[in-house]
Amino acid sequence: MSDLAATGRDVAPQAAFRVLVVDDDPDMAALLAATVQAEGMHAEVVSDGRAAVASVAEAPPDLVLLDVVLPGACGFEICRRLKTDPLTALIPVVLVTALEDRNSRLQGIEAGADDFLSKPVRPEELVARMKTLRRLHETRRELEARRLDAEVERKDALHKALWRYVSPRLTERIMGAAGRGAPFRTDAERADVVVLFADLRGFTRITETIGVHNVVDMLNEYFSVLTEAAYQHEGTIFNMAGDSLLVGFNVPFAQPDAAARAWRTAMDMVSRFAPVSAEWRARFGVATGVGIGLCRGEAIIGNIGSPHFMSYTIIGDTVNTAARLMQMAQADEVLVAATLYESIRPLVPPGRAQARGEVALRGKSEAVGVYSVKL
Amino acid sequence: MTQDAHTVKISKDLEDLIPTYLANRKKELDSLRQALEAADFEQIRQIGHRMRGVGVSYGFDDVTSLGKLIEEAAKASDKAALAKHVGTYGEYLSNLRVTYE
Repeated sequence: MSDLAATGRDVAPQAAFRVLVVDDDPDMAALLAATVQAEGMHAEVVSDGRAAVASVAEAPPDLVLLDVVLPGACGFEICRRLKTDPLTALIPVVLVTALEDRNSRLQGIEAGADDFLSKPVRPEELVARMKTLRRLHETRRELEARRLDAEVERKDALHKALWRYVSPRLTERIMGAAGRGAPFRTDAERADVVVLFADLRGFTRITETIGVHNVVDMLNEYFSVLTEAAYQHEGTIFNMAGDSLLVGFNVPFAQPDAAARAWRTAMDMVSRFAPVSAEWRARFGVATGVGIGLCRGEAIIGNIGSPHFMSYTIIGDTVNTAARLMQMAQADEVLVAATLYESIRPLVPPGRAQARGEVALRGKSEAVGVYSVKL
Repeated sequence: MTQDAHTVKISKDLEDLIPTYLANRKKELDSLRQALEAADFEQIRQIGHRMRGVGVSYGFDDVTSLGKLIEEAAKASDKAALAKHVGTYGEYLSNLRVTYE
């Protein structure tokens, strides 16, 4: 058994509950290990303090049976070290000692020992104490696992709830920044953005002629199609009101290809909505389509509202321009501000774009260059 | 030492460990004799202390009892008492019979 103690080799690798036996007396170490194994537990034996610390660091055991008088660091010191390290503090430590004086017991208590076992060791007493500590340890582990499960479940629920209101990437950012304030910090930021505004053409006719339940279902179907397109190209949905949708690109994450993303989103929205529109026409006899406005420029992004209700949103002239363009767009038409058009020109199908020249937009003092793309 | 012919009944669970255990006790006896010759009472005390721990733990109550006597005599630097106890230990080990239950 002296070889066993000297090499610290594993002696019952199949058992789940792992006990580290630390004793420089090979006969005592062998007895403790045999008693542990007889109870179906896994025993690892080391014969000095340094090996004990290394073993715990490499593979934290479920229980440590620790001799007090050891070569190198004594058992009290090792126990203190384990109990002050958050990673090992919960591992139960039983001091196995022939030191019977009160002072030694006090030292052990101060070092954080969970239990004491006097030498000579009575195997039945050792078994009883190990079983108790094992139950406690397993209960503690189970509680910890439940706490972690509950935490994961809570985060998952929060994640799912957020996903209904903001894009997956923004959700990740919010969850990742939990406790640090971003991105819902109070200070706003200016950024160069590409704004897409989409609106349902024919919606007024729908509300006038179709029952409420159908209208809600239709709106949900319409918004599902549009949000899927927005999320596919990693746009951030800022607002959904009535039948219009506001999507931003290059915000809150930098997107060097924001213009291309916005354009592809617009095309996807129109093409994805086409079969829905055809079905509605067949079922309800209404003509619908998506009108889209696209603009690039500076905008302010931040939390707007009161301490009781806030909206993470985007405001500014760029947004207003995109909104005006959207209002002017016909079904399945994308109106693009000239400032953006140059960036997406290579992506526009040949023959589809038409320059509208400088267009006066409501609420704007200067005319805006506009291109129309019919999809 | 009251056990007849020094017969000790040991748990069957420990049977595999006993040959090594007894070999270590014989080495321990040699160490005790050498330390006694050298009047190294600290060494003898440590050995006695260890005997106390490993005797009853395995079921060899007499090893613990002798260890205690040896430890105390070593603390008192009582060479005569030590010679007597070490002699008793040698006799005990020579006549020891182990059975398993």
